[in-house]
Amino acid sequence: MAPPPAPPQKSPSPSQPSGKSEVSDLKLQLRQLAGSRAPGADDSKRDLFKRVISYMTVGIDVSAAFSEMVMCSATSDIVLKKMCYLYVGNYARCHPDLALLTINFLQKDCHDEDPMIRGLALRSLCSLRVPNLVEYLVAPLGAGLKDGSSYVRMVAAVGVLKLYHISAATCLDSDFPAVLKSLMLTDPDAQVVANCLFVLQEIWNLEANKSEEASRERETLLSKKIVYYILNRIKEFNEWAQCLVLELVAKYIPSDTDDIFDIMNLLEDRLQHANGAVVLATIKVFLHLTMSMTDVHQQVYERIKAPLLTLVGSGSSEQSYAVLSHLHLLVMRAPMLFSSDYKHFYCQFSDPSYVKKLKLEMLTAIANESNTYEIVTELCEYAGNVDVPIARESIRAVGKIALQQYDVNAIVDRLLQFLEMEKDYVTAETLVLVKDLLRKYPQWSHDCIAVVGNISSKNVQEPKAKAALIWMLGEYSQDMPDAPYILESLIENWDEENAAEVRLHLLTAAMKCFFKRPPETQKALGAALAAGLADSHQDVHDRALFYYRLLQYDVSVAERVVNPPKQAVSVFADTQSSEIKDRIFDEFNSLSVVYQKPSYMFTDKEHREPFEFSEEIGNLSLGQEPVGNSPRYDESDKDLLLSTSEREENGGPSTNGPAASGYSAPTDYNSSLVSLSSQTQSETAISDPGMPKYTSQMTLAIDDLLGLSVSAAPAPPSLKLNPKAALDPGTFQRKWGQLAVSISQDCSVSPQGIAALTTPQALIRHMQANSIQCIASGGQSPNFKFFFFAQKLDGPPLFFLVECIVNTSSAKAQVKIKADDATASEAFFGLFQSALSKFGVL
Amino acid sequence: MPVAASAIYFLNLRGDVLINRLYRDDVGGNMVDAFRTHIMQTKELGTCPVRQIGGCSFLYMRISNVYIVIVVSKNANVACAFKFVVEAVALFKSYFGGAFDEDAIRNNFVLIYELLDEIMDFGYPQNLAPEILKLYITQEGVRSPFSSKPSDKPVPNATLQVTGAVGWRREGLLYKKNEVFLDIVESVNLLMSSKGFVLRCDVTGKILMKCFLSGMPDLKLGLNDKIGLENESQLKSRPIKSGKTIELDDVTFHQCVNLTRFNSEKTVSFVPPDGEFELMKYRITEGVNLPFRVLPTIKELGRTRMEVNVKVKSVFGAKMFALGVVVKVPVPKQTAKTSFQVTSGRAKYNASIDCLVWKIRKFPGQTESTMSAEVELISTMAEKKSWTRPPIQMEFQVPMFTASGLRVRFLKVWEKSGYNTVEWVRYITKAGSYEIRC
Repeated sequence: MAPPPAPPQKSPSPSQPSGKSEVSDLKLQLRQLAGSRAPGADDSKRDLFKRVISYMTVGIDVSAAFSEMVMCSATSDIVLKKMCYLYVGNYARCHPDLALLTINFLQKDCHDEDPMIRGLALRSLCSLRVPNLVEYLVAPLGAGLKDGSSYVRMVAAVGVLKLYHISAATCLDSDFPAVLKSLMLTDPDAQVVANCLFVLQEIWNLEANKSEEASRERETLLSKKIVYYILNRIKEFNEWAQCLVLELVAKYIPSDTDDIFDIMNLLEDRLQHANGAVVLATIKVFLHLTMSMTDVHQQVYERIKAPLLTLVGSGSSEQSYAVLSHLHLLVMRAPMLFSSDYKHFYCQFSDPSYVKKLKLEMLTAIANESNTYEIVTELCEYAGNVDVPIARESIRAVGKIALQQYDVNAIVDRLLQFLEMEKDYVTAETLVLVKDLLRKYPQWSHDCIAVVGNISSKNVQEPKAKAALIWMLGEYSQDMPDAPYILESLIENWDEENAAEVRLHLLTAAMKCFFKRPPETQKALGAALAAGLADSHQDVHDRALFYYRLLQYDVSVAERVVNPPKQAVSVFADTQSSEIKDRIFDEFNSLSVVYQKPSYMFTDKEHREPFEFSEEIGNLSLGQEPVGNSPRYDESDKDLLLSTSEREENGGPSTNGPAASGYSAPTDYNSSLVSLSSQTQSETAISDPGMPKYTSQMTLAIDDLLGLSVSAAPAPPSLKLNPKAALDPGTFQRKWGQLAVSISQDCSVSPQGIAALTTPQALIRHMQANSIQCIASGGQSPNFKFFFFAQKLDGPPLFFLVECIVNTSSAKAQVKIKADDATASEAFFGLFQSALSKFGVL
Repeated sequence: MPVAASAIYFLNLRGDVLINRLYRDDVGGNMVDAFRTHIMQTKELGTCPVRQIGGCSFLYMRISNVYIVIVVSKNANVACAFKFVVEAVALFKSYFGGAFDEDAIRNNFVLIYELLDEIMDFGYPQNLAPEILKLYITQEGVRSPFSSKPSDKPVPNATLQVTGAVGWRREGLLYKKNEVFLDIVESVNLLMSSKGFVLRCDVTGKILMKCFLSGMPDLKLGLNDKIGLENESQLKSRPIKSGKTIELDDVTFHQCVNLTRFNSEKTVSFVPPDGEFELMKYRITEGVNLPFRVLPTIKELGRTRMEVNVKVKSVFGAKMFALGVVVKVPVPKQTAKTSFQVTSGRAKYNASIDCLVWKIRKFPGQTESTMSAEVELISTMAEKKSWTRPPIQMEFQVPMFTASGLRVRFLKVWEKSGYNTVEWVRYITKAGSYEIRC
């Protein structure tokens, strides 16, 4: 059942038995009892079994007593049997030979006259999870599915899923899915139906990628016939099964509007169910069914508001957190609809901080002309909260409201009052906000500067706040009489300033101040530039040098560069793309909503890393450099947590070299650096024989270009790429998710190229010259990762998508190509490879 | 995929495993270690009940001195998972009889394993209804009710019930005296600003029932809620009787309530489970009768002295009284000395929660009581100025009073044998989170 519990030496708690001697003692006692028919033997067996199970629970390896436990299992006492089943299930997997011993008695129990025992035995039999014992499973499962007792059928249905996970082939060959399907449509017992449903769902979901038939079967599960059949029986199901059914219905695509209203009428009363999970599942159905009908969709929002608010208020704070996360999602999608409910999002003093945080975000989102005053008043109450992170969060919330409103008069006053509270963190947060406000509403500078000028820079310690203060000192130095002197004193303490961010701002502020009040600032600027030039931080040094040379060149030019007239910022960029938000909404009622990211970002290991990049694709479109944000690699060592079996599953399909098994996630640079380079080499070695094929094809293509078609067979059409290809990140992301890898190859990069690859920019420019566009890139030496795309010049817009990992130390690049038209991908690979190998030569 | 929990763990506060049940192979055996090192031993504990470590998500909640952790490797249904934990704990409680804590788990771990086996299979929740599970899992571990050997209590048609078609009630129950107990329990939540405005106020109520009824009775409950009354008057084409009607914002019902009938006829009709259960829950935001008004005045006299004056008025009927009234007035950490004057009850300073705690055992309706206190503070350099005051909190119970004004108009029991029943109805209002800013 489970991978082995931690070996004894890993649990050195003194209060627990050390293991060895106790286990052998237990073995001895069990052996004595094994054949005993004496009265009271069952009771002493029970005590012994309890001890075994409790050792097992704390992590002591009691597998040594396996054969004794099996010997004792011949009993009619059902509790003893259950304990024995539990024990066997736990250790069978790591002792497959011993597990064989249990098959006999489990099979016997599968024919017991008591349906309870039949069910339990069948469940345990399926839970052994020993691959070479699957043959013993098929017959009892088949019998179980036809059993007269619904309890056994219900267990057998889940058993099919367990079998599938041990050996998918055995499960499918025995035709169990078909049996389940007919059982699902005919069985009188609702729980059997529900179990069949989720088993089939899981099997077809996993099989859908492998076979046409499976994906067809998956579609049938969502057909009108089945969905209606189950919906009509929904009241027979228990609450948990209802959640399952509703989950299925949410995926159903209704044929017309009548269909939609039928389902909604049928499910309306589910919104009154006592189980919050059922209510939430129903809400999902409603939201998804009405997606296409805007006004009905809006009515749905109105209808589900009350049940959602009730759910928030009832149950433990964990439960209300789960519900609030969903409410949060809805509020963010349609803040207007909730603007009158703002009082529900007021924080109770006793709310845990994770609840408060969500509430603050919602209050921020729903603030509009009518309720801003109340909301801001309430938020100001929290600014003095004992919980410092929440206090900070609420100040930020006030700021955000100010940034999204037109009438900020009152809010600015409030913010300025915060500065008078004289709490360091309040001051710090407020300074950052005032800075942002001034960037959007320069007209408020007069009021703000008067207050900001009174803040002693000594009371501001946090880098972000300090930087904000310095920015204001530079920007508004003409209005602050003390500005040059404050800057001067800050520059004097240059060496004590740890944050490079602050030092950078100090340089710029000194420059700005200098342009406005040259005589007072000259000395300070000189000191700042000198300190900057001597700074060990590269950016600070560079900026100081740049300013210095600029001033040397021409002071008026320098002023135009450093202190040009600014336009007020109209909108601050949203951090999450709307496509991602939509995907989260599609996955309503799941973890995605709590994490606020779509599931592929946290479950799919294949994609977890690449899509860390694609988050940056969003940045790209905002005109920022993705290169600077080096992706997060810390996932890699955490992946070690996952059991080896899953690792292999994930590593298996993506790579096929001999070194592949150790190489699970293709992008764990840090942890698998060594295996990466060794594997790259070994894979190249394997793929070498294949290389001539490409070259011959390439020559073919060239021949074809010249009109010298030699081959009678239809030669691959020559491939020309559109130099102005365009693809937005969202589409790229979706395509990447949909398409299969058509080519996965390693190729080499010329040494000159490696030398030129000091930054990813170099390769990006080179590839661009070859009509291959880069959409995202990242990484640090020696590993760089790129996502490219290219478009076929003629004909329909066919795209090629490329993931390319370049390792500069081994001068190799690993290339994965996905294409709309897989037949053309060979030719494209040729182009890509030649472009890559020429890198640095051009 | 709704839940598909990969594993469930019960840990004590030190992180020792009390119970572990692995349902699926897709998580490793070292999940507990991950939970311990990444959540329990860090400040993360309590910052969020859902956390991702590696590829797995941990959904955890603390119940008394036990952590219950559900590990999932896929995108799971969070609400369902938490609800499952809550329901499972309720189920365990109904087996152990009350408490659910570390000791109870240690004493009953075999039973818990048995239950975990039944309530979840391969990570999917199965049947959690205590009424049904108790038919075949008993604490004494007697033989299965299906066994062909004669047992003392025949259970007809149990197979059907085990899988939960009519989940909540079994047939053939017989009581000498047929009784129904109905409790309306309301908790009133209040957030009042320092200027005396009600910022937020609502009542969450539940109707708890205890049924000792023979056979398969059909019950019908009438309340003075608006929808129900209007509907009735329409049916009888009679004008609504004078008297207060209550508008319920939202109602949820126990699964035994026929929701279709509630929606069409607006009556609460149901076949109750045997014993105790929660019939319905509701929420009200309009027209709430606050049982207490609190009028605080707090003066800070210089840096070392504070004067606290709190007046509490009871605004419910003069014949009623509140029990267990507690008023907690927060004071700064550096409180050194306190002196009190109260018109009733007792007050003292509790340093562990930094509050002046004023307790009044019995508080009659339509009266008022005051506490005035002088607080001396140690002068410190650390906190220079403003001490931000947490709100005053209040606890109380008012029997026979409902903050919403909800009343039971009738409770009809109908059974084919036509026996007589005795019905008992009680009301009580408790303080939920009753906060007054000052």
